[in-house]
Amino acid sequence: MSNNKYKILIVEDEENIRSFVTALLEASGYQVVCASSAKSGEMLFSSYLPELVILDLGLPDKDGMELLRYIRGTSSVPVIVLSARTDENDKVAALDMGANDYVTKPFGSAELVARVRSALRNFRRVSDSELSSGRFELGALTIDYPSRRVTVNEVEIKLTQTEYNIVALLSEHCGKVLTYSVIISAIWGYNDYNSIKKLQVNMANIRKKFGFSPGEKCFIENELGVGYRMSGS
Amino acid sequence: MKKTVKNILLTTAVLTAAFFICLALHSAFDSLALIPAIFVLAVLLVSFFTEGYVYGIVSSLISVLALNFAFTFPFFKFNFTIPENLVSAIIMIIVTLITGALTTKLKHQEAIKARSEKERMRSSLLRAVGHDLRTPLTTIYGSTSAILENYDSFSDEQKQRLLRGIKEDSEWLTHMVENLLSITRIDGGSVRLIKSPTALEELIDSVLQKFRKRFPDANVQIDLPDEFLSIPMDAILIEQVIVNLLENSVRHADGMTAVKLRVFTVDKKAVFEISDDGCGIPAERLKTIFTGYWDGITAPSDTKSNSGIGLSVCDAIIKAHGGEIKAENQKSGGALFRFALDFEEDEIEQ
Repeated sequence: MSNNKYKILIVEDEENIRSFVTALLEASGYQVVCASSAKSGEMLFSSYLPELVILDLGLPDKDGMELLRYIRGTSSVPVIVLSARTDENDKVAALDMGANDYVTKPFGSAELVARVRSALRNFRRVSDSELSSGRFELGALTIDYPSRRVTVNEVEIKLTQTEYNIVALLSEHCGKVLTYSVIISAIWGYNDYNSIKKLQVNMANIRKKFGFSPGEKCFIENELGVGYRMSGS
Repeated sequence: MKKTVKNILLTTAVLTAAFFICLALHSAFDSLALIPAIFVLAVLLVSFFTEGYVYGIVSSLISVLALNFAFTFPFFKFNFTIPENLVSAIIMIIVTLITGALTTKLKHQEAIKARSEKERMRSSLLRAVGHDLRTPLTTIYGSTSAILENYDSFSDEQKQRLLRGIKEDSEWLTHMVENLLSITRIDGGSVRLIKSPTALEELIDSVLQKFRKRFPDANVQIDLPDEFLSIPMDAILIEQVIVNLLENSVRHADGMTAVKLRVFTVDKKAVFEISDDGCGIPAERLKTIFTGYWDGITAPSDTKSNSGIGLSVCDAIIKAHGGEIKAENQKSGGALFRFALDFEEDEIEQ
């Protein structure tokens, strides 16, 4: 039975946080192993081969970013970073380094479990055959890559070249927060002060075409000051 | 560097002006009586408007030389051999030195006063915060130890109720800490904000996502301009201002059925209005509503309101953005908060 459970590695030095996150994830049906330092995290990662890593950035022995770099050197498993609110720069740096998502401390149980679930599901989606089959589905949204057609509830959404490129990029990294600079360099190839505004304008048009208004759940979530994420949860 | 240049320019300007005024007075009245007074005045002005002792002392020496050179016999020639001139030079130096020292001392005292005022604010903030933190901590500490000690004797319902209280108070603490962190981030406007262009729509989207998570039942009405707006701001801080104001309405406006968030543009300014149809703000509180927390006027300890510090934080954040936040009561009843941000891009600032 336990072989079917997803294995999650938690790297966090605060014992209390570790213990409640462990309890929570085990109660949600995951198999959990804990590390309290970057060094033991590194060891456990290699030996235990987890399917998801929850990583605190402030570790006693080494910067969590280094562990993230180590993980990304060998593997593409989803990594969720735990971060403090005040430093958006840390979040952006961790995302650019390859983290899939971040959860801001303090966080509620529902929020963490939802992030874990969506990271695992999206990772499966991306690594499975969906992309190679040329078709992407997320709830009511479908994207047909060869014909560059985007539909919601079977109704085609007419997007411009750039808008389509942005939507396709986000869908290829579904579930992952893409920072402004990552999207900008992927779409335009260069990065200047005005490109962030250009991206925002395109995003506004995309949302309008999808018919979303502020505060509602949308396929494309906006992470203020950080970037965007396509997500179905 | 810039300051030094400014100080030197100022000193030169004042002394030159004094010199020519003296020349003019000398030729007009043919009297020397006014000359020392003018120079003393010049030195006083210099020591008052420049920083440090140096400029005052230098100008006092220059004044003595100028006086000796141009306005004592023999005219336009240095001569310290005549005892009368020497005595007048010494008196002049003493007078100007004392003036300089006195003004510097005065400035010093003003700085101390300003510092102690800031210190007073800081300590009254700490006192108020410490007081405020104790209430939720009491709940959390008390409830958890009660549950641990009476785990088997408490009914499930009792445990649930205690746990809900703990959760509620932890959320309150989280919010409080966020506000405190924002204060340290601006701290009297000395730290530069990290402004980046922010799409209004995304800001409001993020505000609503956050707010609805905490108050799922609140009725928030949104009224945004149709055109795309990008406003340079520290988005995390402005987000907090709006969330604080919305929360303030939900928590304090008795009889409120809906809170309205409206944004419109008035020549290159985006005006944000948060209004509700509740009981409004008591007239005697309107004046101190943004500063009350610092002065300890709004006894925050027993109300567990968070509003005191929340509104103070709003005020500080908007001020740091170069704006002003205002509160008023609407004619139709209910409170209205308003602030504006420039959306004209400042080309130099990038």
